[in-house]
Amino acid sequence: MYYVKKCLPACLLLILFSTTGCQGITDDITPSDSDERPTVESGSTGSQPTQLAPNFTAVDTLNNNHTLTDELALADGVVLYFTMWCPICDSHMAHIRSQLIPEFPNVRFLVIDYVTDSVTSSRAAQLANGYASFTVLSDSNQALHDTFNGGMGITVIIDSSGTVQLNEYYKDGRKLRATLEALP
Amino acid sequence: MKFTTMIKPILAGAVFLPSTLVHAASCCGGGSSSTLILPKASHVMVDASFDIEQYDGFWNREGNHTDDPPGSDLSQYRLNLGYAHRLASRWQTSVVIPYTWNDNQYGGLNTQTNGLGDTKINLWYETFDDVTCIWKIKKLADLKPAAYLGATLTLPTGVSSFDDVDSNFDITGRGFYRLDGNMLLEKTIYPLSTSLLLSYGKYFERSVNREYGKYVEPYKTNLGDRLLATLSFGYTQFLDSMDTMTYTIAFSHLQEEKAEVNGRTDPTSGFEKRSIALTTAYSTMDRNWVFKGTWNHAIDKDGWGENFPTTNVLTLGVSYVLR
Repeated sequence: MYYVKKCLPACLLLILFSTTGCQGITDDITPSDSDERPTVESGSTGSQPTQLAPNFTAVDTLNNNHTLTDELALADGVVLYFTMWCPICDSHMAHIRSQLIPEFPNVRFLVIDYVTDSVTSSRAAQLANGYASFTVLSDSNQALHDTFNGGMGITVIIDSSGTVQLNEYYKDGRKLRATLEALP
Repeated sequence: MKFTTMIKPILAGAVFLPSTLVHAASCCGGGSSSTLILPKASHVMVDASFDIEQYDGFWNREGNHTDDPPGSDLSQYRLNLGYAHRLASRWQTSVVIPYTWNDNQYGGLNTQTNGLGDTKINLWYETFDDVTCIWKIKKLADLKPAAYLGATLTLPTGVSSFDDVDSNFDITGRGFYRLDGNMLLEKTIYPLSTSLLLSYGKYFERSVNREYGKYVEPYKTNLGDRLLATLSFGYTQFLDSMDTMTYTIAFSHLQEEKAEVNGRTDPTSGFEKRSIALTTAYSTMDRNWVFKGTWNHAIDKDGWGENFPTTNVLTLGVSYVLR
């Protein structure tokens, strides 16, 4: 029994770490503050800041088509927000609705639902979450998700010249606001 | 299309809600899926439990409950392995390590991910020398509860949103170190018992250079302070064999203040959750084996939470004490 008591903790840890392989552990144990963003060629076509956004056409939840160039022709810029209707997304979208849309009336805000599998389902999710007034693009085949390297809470700003100004997670919305304020 | 990396509603499992203390800790040993407490005069406890967490919509920032989209079936499973060790007559320590499986069906899509969760290391100090469980109140001092003072260090051994993931579907941890100060008061006057657990935690600021697998301009961030309060009431039934069945009901309140990004408050963060838990535990006469089941239920109505998923958690577990 003495050896059982002494060896048990080590054995449990050994079994656990050998079965899990410690995958992904070290990133959070020792967080990095080095800037590892990839460098991109300004003016090339792509989804990263300083690149020219690829044009796209997508259908919204009311079955209207939206083309990026058409949207940019009528606005100072376009904001794409990728949602999956989660609590975090809801918090971001509520912030956009209450804080940013009133402040930037000449900016087009487009929400992209990249997880719902049909226009009908996407509309149902939109209404259930209380965002009937938003323009929600149904990205059921994840074409926009893949084109803009989207994901939960990813926010993309494209200025009127078609240049990507921002492509990152929403966080507290301050960088989004600062970028919108600096739009030409 | 990366169906394997679709989004989880939000890290409820990563927050790792503790289940109810299942026993009068000073007498029989107690604990939950995130902390363990050894009974007096015992040296070692080994615990294994399995959580089945089912998502049932979420509360938004206004506290209004919202259902998940039609066709959603979001689940998380956690295997928690725990080990407690007595260091001295009044001191004990324990470690709990979870392993997490995410299994999600969303809009007709299926995703499965898994990984280690955040590890918790606990240290407890007992303010008493003798067990405080009594059968009859003979004098005022008999009413004195067992009081435990403790600390819990959470290690970010899970996979968080700052790792190489695409979404919250992939994550199994918060990505932050946290230190909690804990106080547990419990009193048993057989067959009744009650306990109060208070826990206040502070996260440690960290650097971030990646979010959901995408490298970003590095910044500093920290989560808000965390408060947990759990009040429970129990009834112990002695069987003919002197084995016991203990039935417990508990109410928990959990809240986390708003996070900070580069020292400035993130208005989209912070959450609250209130839940009710029912626990049944079977203990052998010698109290060496405890088999337990807990149903932790969040009320899917407005006002029972804010900015947080509504989930129900079934926990099945077993503890073994080495005297």
